[in-house]
Amino acid sequence: MEGFAEIDPKLLEILVCPLTKAPLRYDREAHELISDEARLAYPIRDGIPIMLVDEARALRDDETPAKRLPSP
Amino acid sequence: MTASANPQPQFLFDRRAWRLHRARAQRTGAVDFLHHEVNDRLLDRLDVIARAFPTALDLGARDLALAHALVERPGTNRVVAAEPAICHATPLPAVAADPELVPFRDACFDLVVSSLALHWVADLPGTLVQLRHILKPDGLLLAAMLGGQTLVELRTALFEAELAEEGGVSPRVSPTTELADAAALLQRAGFAMPVADSETITVTYPGLSALLRDLRGMGETNALAARRRGSLRRATLARAAALYADRFGNAEGRIPATFEIVFLTGWAPHPAQPQPRPGPRRRIDQQAR
Repeated sequence: MEGFAEIDPKLLEILVCPLTKAPLRYDREAHELISDEARLAYPIRDGIPIMLVDEARALRDDETPAKRLPSP
Repeated sequence: MTASANPQPQFLFDRRAWRLHRARAQRTGAVDFLHHEVNDRLLDRLDVIARAFPTALDLGARDLALAHALVERPGTNRVVAAEPAICHATPLPAVAADPELVPFRDACFDLVVSSLALHWVADLPGTLVQLRHILKPDGLLLAAMLGGQTLVELRTALFEAELAEEGGVSPRVSPTTELADAAALLQRAGFAMPVADSETITVTYPGLSALLRDLRGMGETNALAARRRGSLRRATLARAAALYADRFGNAEGRIPATFEIVFLTGWAPHPAQPQPRPGPRRRIDQQAR
C-alpha cells in the first residue's frame, strides 16, 4: 500500500499549481499532479501531494496534456 | 527544457536547508515548548472571536498539534495541514507546501492559521497577498511569527565574538519584520481590520550550548542562502558563550533568551464588515509646501 494511498478527493479540488495558481491534472497512474502551464509534475507520496517546486519533475517536451484536443 | 520549468530566482533562504532543519527537528523528538506555547496563545485568540470557521488551513503545521486542536474545536469540521517538511502520518488532509508559494485555489478557507512559520518567508507581502486570496470573503488570517527582538542577546554575543575572533561577521540571523511594519503589510495585502501586536517570551538556559541545542531541536537554525557552511569555530563559540553570560546572565548563572512573537490578524474583505466612516478629506496642497 505504501506510496499508493489515494489522495483525498476534496483536497484535490482545492489544489492549484503553486507557481501559476492554475488547476492541476491528476495523473492517477503516475501519482502526479501536473501543471501544464508551468510544465511541472508534482509527486504524490503516501497520499500526500508534494507541492514544492524544487521537488517537482520538469515535463518532457513530448508530454502533452491528454485532454487537449485539436481545434476543430 | 522550457524556460518556465523550475525557475529558481535568487532566494534569501535556502528552502531545502530549511526543510531539512524542520524534518530533523520532527524526527529527533522536537523541542516544541515554544511552538506549543504559541499554539495555545493562537487558540486563545480564536476563542474570543465569536464565529465558526468550518474549513481551516494550518500553514506550517509541523507536528500537526495545532491542526488537531483546531479540528476538535466546535464550528470547525475540516482542517488542511500544510507543512514544507511533512513527516507525521495523519488522518487529516495534508499537503507538502511552502508558505512562499501557496498551492490552494482562491476562496477555499474560512480560516488560515500559521504558527511560527512566516518568519521564514523571504517575501512576506507576497505571501500575505496569496493568503488573502485563498480566504473566503470575511475569512480570518491569524498568524504568529518571530519578530525583530527575537534572540537579541544571542545576536549581540555572536556578532561580537565573531568580530573579535575572526575579524569579520557572516550572516547568521534572518531579517525579521518589525512590528511597526506588520499591520501596514497586512493592509497593503488587502486585509480588512488589520492588527499586529507582539508578546515576549523569555526562556532561561544554563548556557549557550543548551540554547543552541534547543534552536536546532526547534528547526530554527540558520537557513540563509548566504550563510557560512560548517559549524561555528570552537574559539568563537567559547567567546560568544562568555560574552552572553557576562552581558546578559542572571544572578543564578543562567542566560535569558528572548523570543518576540508577532501576531498578525486580518480579515478578507466582505461588504458586511464595518467600514471606516468617510471623514472629511484632508486636502494635501503640494503648492503650499
